[in-house]
Amino acid sequence: MDRRSFTVIIAAVVLRLVMFTAFPSLPDLLTNRVELSTPVTSFKRLQEGLFLYTHGLSPYDGGVFHQAPLLLAFFTTLPSNPIVVYLVYILSDVLSAYSLIQIATSGVSVSTPYHTSSRKSSAWPPWAVAAAFLFNPFSIATCIARPTIVFTNTAILTAVAKGVQGQGIAAVLALAMASYLSLYPVLLLPPMILLAYDNLPAVKKKKGRSLGSFAAVLASVFTVAAVGLGTLSWGITGGSWEFLASTYGVHLLLPDLTPNVGLWWYFFIEMFDSFREFFLCVFQLHLAIYLAGLCLRLRKQPLFVITTLLGISSIFKSYPSIGDTALYLSLLSLYRHIFPLMRYTFFVTSTLLYATLLGPAFYHLWIYAGSGNANFFYAITLVWSLAVTVLVSDAIFAVLRDEWETERPEMKGKEIVQI
Amino acid sequence: MRLLSWPSITQLLLAPLVVGARASEYNDYSENLLLKSLPGNSILASFRFVSNGTFDSHHSVFPRSLAQILQQSQTKELHLKFTLGRWDAEQWGRQVWDGRTAGGTGVELWAWVEAADDSEADARWTTLNNALSGLFCASLNFIDSTRTIRPVMSFQPAGHHSPESLERLHLLHGTLPREPVCTENLTPFLKLLPCKGKAGISSLLDGHRLFDAQWQSMSIDVKPVCEESGKCQLQMEQTKPYAGGDSCFPLSGVTDLPWSLSEMFGRPIRGSCPLAVVPTEEATHVCVNIAEQRSIFVSQGSEERKKSPELRCFILHENLDFDIVLPELSPSTNILLTPPPVYASRSLTGHGQERGGIQAVLNNPSSNSTVEFVYLESLPWFMKPYLHTLSVTISVKANRNIVQDIYYRPALDRKRGTQLEVRLRVPPGETVLLNYEFEKAVLRYTEYPPDANRGFDIAPAIISILDPTSQKSTFSIRTTSLLLSLPTPDFSMPYNVIILTSTVMALAFGSIFNILVRRFVGADEVIGGSLISKIRGHIMAFAAKRRRVGGSKPKTE
Repeated sequence: MDRRSFTVIIAAVVLRLVMFTAFPSLPDLLTNRVELSTPVTSFKRLQEGLFLYTHGLSPYDGGVFHQAPLLLAFFTTLPSNPIVVYLVYILSDVLSAYSLIQIATSGVSVSTPYHTSSRKSSAWPPWAVAAAFLFNPFSIATCIARPTIVFTNTAILTAVAKGVQGQGIAAVLALAMASYLSLYPVLLLPPMILLAYDNLPAVKKKKGRSLGSFAAVLASVFTVAAVGLGTLSWGITGGSWEFLASTYGVHLLLPDLTPNVGLWWYFFIEMFDSFREFFLCVFQLHLAIYLAGLCLRLRKQPLFVITTLLGISSIFKSYPSIGDTALYLSLLSLYRHIFPLMRYTFFVTSTLLYATLLGPAFYHLWIYAGSGNANFFYAITLVWSLAVTVLVSDAIFAVLRDEWETERPEMKGKEIVQI
Repeated sequence: MRLLSWPSITQLLLAPLVVGARASEYNDYSENLLLKSLPGNSILASFRFVSNGTFDSHHSVFPRSLAQILQQSQTKELHLKFTLGRWDAEQWGRQVWDGRTAGGTGVELWAWVEAADDSEADARWTTLNNALSGLFCASLNFIDSTRTIRPVMSFQPAGHHSPESLERLHLLHGTLPREPVCTENLTPFLKLLPCKGKAGISSLLDGHRLFDAQWQSMSIDVKPVCEESGKCQLQMEQTKPYAGGDSCFPLSGVTDLPWSLSEMFGRPIRGSCPLAVVPTEEATHVCVNIAEQRSIFVSQGSEERKKSPELRCFILHENLDFDIVLPELSPSTNILLTPPPVYASRSLTGHGQERGGIQAVLNNPSSNSTVEFVYLESLPWFMKPYLHTLSVTISVKANRNIVQDIYYRPALDRKRGTQLEVRLRVPPGETVLLNYEFEKAVLRYTEYPPDANRGFDIAPAIISILDPTSQKSTFSIRTTSLLLSLPTPDFSMPYNVIILTSTVMALAFGSIFNILVRRFVGADEVIGGSLISKIRGHIMAFAAKRRRVGGSKPKTE
């Protein structure tokens, strides 16, 4: 880690500490924002779960707490001082940034064994990637609001950092942790295996390990880790499996319809009862459907597959928050070199800003002022989702064009069509 | 001038019903009415009917309709309350019969059901609710698992149960705070009485006037009562307290307004009920608890028994109408009030439709004795309290021993509601503030009632005063119900939302797969690359084909 990266991290830690301490009401204010805290990540619900857990009541026998049991065990060991909690969240962000620096240093985003971008010179240095994550207002707000998505993001970034270093087992272990915390990272397993395989040290690869056997090993390690975490949770909750229905069941079946930035809540408020199960299946399958296509088409760049899948799930998962989008944006900053190939950057930037500013305003009009109705906030979530969708697809376009231009350098800067 | 102001309070008590004994052997049925003046020119009329009987008797005054329901659902003790209005404890003091006969606003039902396990108890509870719903024309069948709780500290059985059967008894409690109590509930209530409202004091219970009261409660309590010999009967107590008044301006303190039974209830008492026990010196039909200096005029044929200067009782003649008339008295008499053991009020705090808080103010008016009680809250599942925000504060110094015990059962979405029981000890003269925060859930659009923006009724909190030695409930108080407004979706939008959301998803799917599955080529490398040239090419080809076809075939027309 060079000095610049170090400076960036120190500055980010100081900024967060100042935000926590100079504005004492800010953490609780942000915790109550639906854009930052969802029913499955909210810090206030975590506190309620902790309270019930320490008083001998099962937090999973209730409709408030839907987070993983290990979080309970972890937070009960912490001293109850709020500063400690702040430091834990800041540390988590620092670890994320450190992973991003490792990823950027490895250069996997510009050069993989099968593809080297012709624009690699314009990629951002590691410290700039870390700064794009640490000083992104979405990341800062997420850290201050203390949702547990922060830990999921750290686990995902750690997994990716291990993956680009070719440490497949460590990568899937971290990914198992992320999936354990919030289920949807399980979709990242195939591209993660590809990423780790591509970046295996040359010595190991020479031993003739095929992708198939490598994938089988990693998939079984992942399964064992996930089962191990589940069993550990079973022990923590006093030998009961009811946490499964109350955590992953909530991700899958959406019993809590609290508004968030995603598309599910209003859709399932307004859904006819007889079609509810059908559309739940459709929405869950919709998330998984991109996996195979992306892995095949972008086989040369599995890191970008991971990035894109994170972007897609930040729009279409059951309880998305700004923290998911912040993770996607921070990984996208590794692809600075393809930004010139994107076609709708102005549209996306302005739409995201529009939604960010109008979202809280419209929510206030609906919930507090009473001068607007639910459609106001719903419309903003539509705009937000649309903007991120356009960004995701535009980034795919740019990366594919970049690959194509490597094959045909003479087409650089020329008009193209797709057939 | 009809500036009558008589907030009158009626209490109906349907007394123990003993099943299984021959009618002549027991004093199977008794009824009495207590009229009591309250401050503010209000009258409390408390009706009490007690019937005894067994299940298998064919000559019992215990209504068979109810006995069959109890037998079918294996219910050993039943308490059903219909309440309307608010008992103003600050103005009227403590409730009659220790508040045992009054329920919370709406309908409240609790019962001890005999069952081997919880699921069997639930099934029998559902049977009981559905049957009572039909019997009393009330929406009791809407007491489902989300409105049912199993209180652990607040209620104790009032009847005699053997220790073996007590182990098998399950207490279930349900509330319907929104249920409007009306004439249709009164008629079945009267049907349970032997004289069915045709004679006796129940003839006063006329639906036209009764529901004008400021507060009224109708309660049915059935419990087993055993003699020394071990012979058990079922006792049914039916009560109806009623506080009414139509004061246009506060007249209290100036004059005691005149009133009469026939003016208050629209009719006099139509003689005594011949099926009731023969009145004795103790068991009289009608008693009036009023200041000594107020004169009372009664109709002919009744006998007066003066039990104390302030309590004058009357025995009715079987075939003669009975009426009581009290003339105006000025200046007004002073009525000594007995304060209740606890003054309780509860309100919602916060604003907005996202979250809120509850504040209960509990005051011990006594100057020398500590009061211990259980505060029971039964909340619907869509109101999600945060127990870690529960705070109990006392007006003066911090006393750590206020909260004795807490029982909490959190809500499960769409399955059960929250149950919170807090046992508190309040020192004399102190006020305790009980606060907690909650979050409001957003419901599916089909789960909202037709008038969604009116809000949702939250059942009254139940405060059971405990006896310091036996730890049994001796007095109960209900707070008012609350109106909780939830965020509402736009009910006219289901199709629009489905279409718009699906469009965004289709757009994502379409654009991403469009990019993934197609190849890149340079714009100048495509033959007929642009769309226009493609279309032109198609038209030209089509035209050429036409020409060829037209040239080779002869004209047909």
